[in-house]
Amino acid sequence: MRIFWVLLKKELRGFFVSPVAYIVIALVMVQTGFSFRAALSILETGAHSQGSIVRWTFDSQWFWLSYFFIFPLVTMRLFSEEKKLGTLETLFTAPVRAWQVVGAKYGAAVIFYCILWLPSLANFGLVEYLTGGAVEMPVGQLQGSYLILLLMGLFNLALGCFASSLTSNQIVAAVISFTGSLMHYLLGIFIIYVGKRVPEVFLDAVGYIASVDHIRAFASGLIDTRPIVYYLSLTLLFLGFTHQVVEFRRWKP
Amino acid sequence: MIEAQDLTKRYAGRTAVDAISFFVKPGEIVGFLGPNGAGKTTTMRMLSGYMPPSSGSAVVAGYDVFRDSIDVRRNVGYMPENAPLYGDLRVKEYLHFRAELKGLRGREARRRTGEVMDMCGVTDMRRRLICNLSKGYRQRVALADTLLHQPQLLILDEPTNGLDPTQIRHIREMLVGLKERQTVMLSTHILSEVEKICDRVIMIHHGRIRACDTPQNLARQLRAAATVSLEIKGKGPMTGLLEALPGVRKAEQEENLNEGWKTIMVRVEAQCDPREAILELATKEHWIIREMHQQLPSLEDVFVELAASDAPPADQ
Ligand SMILES: Nc1ncnc2c1ncn2[C@@H]1O[C@H](COP(=O)(O)OP(=O)(O)OP(=O)(O)O)[C@@H](O)[C@H]1O
Ligand SMILES: [Mg+2]
Repeated sequence: MRIFWVLLKKELRGFFVSPVAYIVIALVMVQTGFSFRAALSILETGAHSQGSIVRWTFDSQWFWLSYFFIFPLVTMRLFSEEKKLGTLETLFTAPVRAWQVVGAKYGAAVIFYCILWLPSLANFGLVEYLTGGAVEMPVGQLQGSYLILLLMGLFNLALGCFASSLTSNQIVAAVISFTGSLMHYLLGIFIIYVGKRVPEVFLDAVGYIASVDHIRAFASGLIDTRPIVYYLSLTLLFLGFTHQVVEFRRWKP
Repeated sequence: MIEAQDLTKRYAGRTAVDAISFFVKPGEIVGFLGPNGAGKTTTMRMLSGYMPPSSGSAVVAGYDVFRDSIDVRRNVGYMPENAPLYGDLRVKEYLHFRAELKGLRGREARRRTGEVMDMCGVTDMRRRLICNLSKGYRQRVALADTLLHQPQLLILDEPTNGLDPTQIRHIREMLVGLKERQTVMLSTHILSEVEKICDRVIMIHHGRIRACDTPQNLARQLRAAATVSLEIKGKGPMTGLLEALPGVRKAEQEENLNEGWKTIMVRVEAQCDPREAILELATKEHWIIREMHQQLPSLEDVFVELAASDAPPADQ
């Protein structure tokens, strides 16, 4: 376990010395800033018979347009860079186990991802503070929104980790990770368009995994355990894959 | 310290290391030689627990390299070829990180980090980013890393590759100094180095062991044996008469010096010394010899002969 902490510390440090980290932080701040501004302008026009500032923020096109850029940027480095440099060889001739390495890299990515969203929380705090509580702050919706962001983050980061373990080329890793994340997200939207033409069973299955539905539910404060289980198991699955790929050289042909 | 039994590694059908068996005793310094692509790196990776053998087994420091790979790694300091390091860390930070990875804690880790930096001469560079170091210094940092946890066995893949002559000598002395407590297996292309420090040499070629002996014995057993060079003056068919002597394979006139002196190279059969016979012949024929010098074969000759001895096996 000690070795895990040593590795985690190093990986986290790795995030904050790389310029990519600051680009991602800037991206997320711009992204949440824009969608928050959009939500505020709805509030200004006074047409807020339904919904709330939280829902408008996370329902914005702006937001989801840039959301999936985060994951390749955060994860592409993790394994690809070490593969290219050859440092995996140094790493794995020290007494470390593959799960410690995978866990530390993934853990650092998750911690970094969580830090990314802290500034956006301040937005809501600021509105409440400035308006002196005149704008109603739906706590349940806020919690739900951030929970779904965390869940989708856990899954997409695991997917990114896996992509990065496949190749020594960071660009390739980024493309795999981006395509994978986006395809998964678009599945839910795709079903809205083809809706009537596919069999009921298939619709149900896709409905179960459609991120758009999850987001809508969670953002309105409806916290469902099925998506939670779904995202967590996908996360474990991809971390397992990553572990297998990292251990690949130890397979006996 | 190392016992390898039929160690084999196949990459996608091609055999890189083919059923090699050897042993290394505690306290030995063993040189691992072979032409490019012979399978040195592959063998060392298997011994250090990085990759398992396709078949066969090896016991290193009392542990099986496949089943107890973590225990093997605790007792082995491995330096990969080309010294891959994290460029975004400073030298001291890197070594401290490695010390912690290898299970050293707090003060102990700091103390060992300082010690190995002194041993490898990188103390002056401790605040530099690794990506800004020259190749030789990176090599030294990688070597310092292997010493951190005071392993019983050091496996070094071309440790002196890219170092300047002073530093090569320094490392050589360091390895000899470590001999009390540590066993060393190193691969290298610098043969003079092997002749100076290695107790034993293992030569591989196309994944098979071709020779395994002390450097002196290896050179002695060589088929392309010693040469004797002569500076000589006299009349008659010199080379013909010399070749008629027992133990002489070939005599060639090299060049004509002034005043009738010439140099002749005499190639000698293995384990023969025809110098006395040459002298007797010269007395009999009234030749004058002003210089005679026997040159023993070097490890380099063994190496070159070995590398040229057979064509690569056809790909399966
Ligand atoms: N990852 C790999 N995949 C496929 N083949 C490999 C791999 N690594 C090495 N080989 C092959 O295995 C053989 C032995 O390679 P190895 O790196 O062990 O040679 P070496 O003795 O270290 O050579 P050098 O002196 O050039 O370092 C070579 O033919 C090489 O092409
Ligand atoms: Mg090599």
